[in-house]
Amino acid sequence: MSKLAVCSALALLFMVADARFKVMQPLRVGLATVLYPVQWTALQPVLMVQSATQYFSSLSAAQATRAEEQLKRTVLAQRANQVEQLAQENERLRRLLGLQGRLQSPAMAAQVIYDAADPYTRKVVIDKGLADQVALGSPVLDEFGVLGQVTRVYPLVSEVTLITDREQAIPVLNTRTGARGVAFGDVGSHADALELRFMAANADVMTGDLLSTSGVDGVYPPGLAVARIEKVERRVDTVFARIYCVPLAMVSGANHVLVLAPLSGQIPARPVAVAPAASGRHGVAK
Amino acid sequence: MIMRPGQQLLLPANPLFVWASLVGALLLNMIQNMGLWGRSAWSPDLLAVVLVFWTVHQPLRVSIGAAFVFGLLMDVHQGGLLGQHAMAYTVLSFFAITIHRRLLWFTVPSQAAQVLPLFAVAHAVELVLQLLVGGSFPGFWLLLAPVAEALLWPVASIVLLVPQRRAPDPDANRPL
Repeated sequence: MSKLAVCSALALLFMVADARFKVMQPLRVGLATVLYPVQWTALQPVLMVQSATQYFSSLSAAQATRAEEQLKRTVLAQRANQVEQLAQENERLRRLLGLQGRLQSPAMAAQVIYDAADPYTRKVVIDKGLADQVALGSPVLDEFGVLGQVTRVYPLVSEVTLITDREQAIPVLNTRTGARGVAFGDVGSHADALELRFMAANADVMTGDLLSTSGVDGVYPPGLAVARIEKVERRVDTVFARIYCVPLAMVSGANHVLVLAPLSGQIPARPVAVAPAASGRHGVAK
Repeated sequence: MIMRPGQQLLLPANPLFVWASLVGALLLNMIQNMGLWGRSAWSPDLLAVVLVFWTVHQPLRVSIGAAFVFGLLMDVHQGGLLGQHAMAYTVLSFFAITIHRRLLWFTVPSQAAQVLPLFAVAHAVELVLQLLVGGSFPGFWLLLAPVAEALLWPVASIVLLVPQRRAPDPDANRPL
């Protein structure tokens, strides 16, 4: 009985320390390092079965995939050429107007090993960690859009929380109207959906609008595709509309992803507030 | 060890086998997660089944402390709240120790029925903790998980006792 009390008190302590104070990371890293050989052993049969099925897939299927990818690449190459020209024009216009240059985000390719097993959160595990200089809070994208953010970094792997997780919010921009909002994850009624909250009931939003990152949070670079609006419910009894969006990234089947460096390292620090002048205060006191 | 009338007398348990089976159950849990069905609320927790099994059969070797440590390892692997599985497994092994003397008097299917509430309580503890902390509700498939674990109890009962069911004096006819 006393063992139960001790162990449950210790478990509660760990939970509170992890959820509130976030001091449990060293213990986690230690346990994860101990657990890594077991995880590696568990992963080997999975990888062997995957490579065996790839080996046995037919030649024509592989050739068809290759042809498809080549076609996609041709289409993307055309857009990429446009991007070069637009970036140059953007640079010239910024210099002309005296604006700061656009921020560059160096990217690192990674692969999703597995979905984290906790059914209460939406996280995936990628195969780059501290050893590859992954920073905490880095945005992660796949080829279609923003996937999420790195929330825990271990020596050899990292955990990425997807944008559809309950605790995640991402500031977005409606590309048609230019209006800014915030999209939150874990909508109860739809699986794998986002909700654009706190938009007025008479705001200009239509089904099919594309949402991209607005770049004002210092985490996600601007202009990355996030989601497409699926349903807008304007109700009489609330001031806000309920707007459901579907993320463009493959949140349930992501494989190859890109990890960007977080913007916080490149934007200037917040200025320190200056104290009001003494003469002003004397005037108020009188 | 007290057994029902008519049961074979068992050899003592090898501690290496006990701990190896626990690590093996952890491995199978990870393979379930990585290879088979990713994150799913209904998948049975094999480590919980094996923990309860050894807590019932070998309470002096495997008890609350071991359950706590394995719970911590599961938490670190799953990336959830640190202490969620530790708490659930602690409660699970406490109740398993509470019933361990009576359980072995019953037949194996009856044991499975009595172990089902234990697994249900462990999953309920996890659910309550997650909802308090602010996790999302995993769906009603979660109700299937304790049932699946109780159905695995007879399998574990047979498989994990195989080394103890060997003949005490092996000869040419019974080599193992």
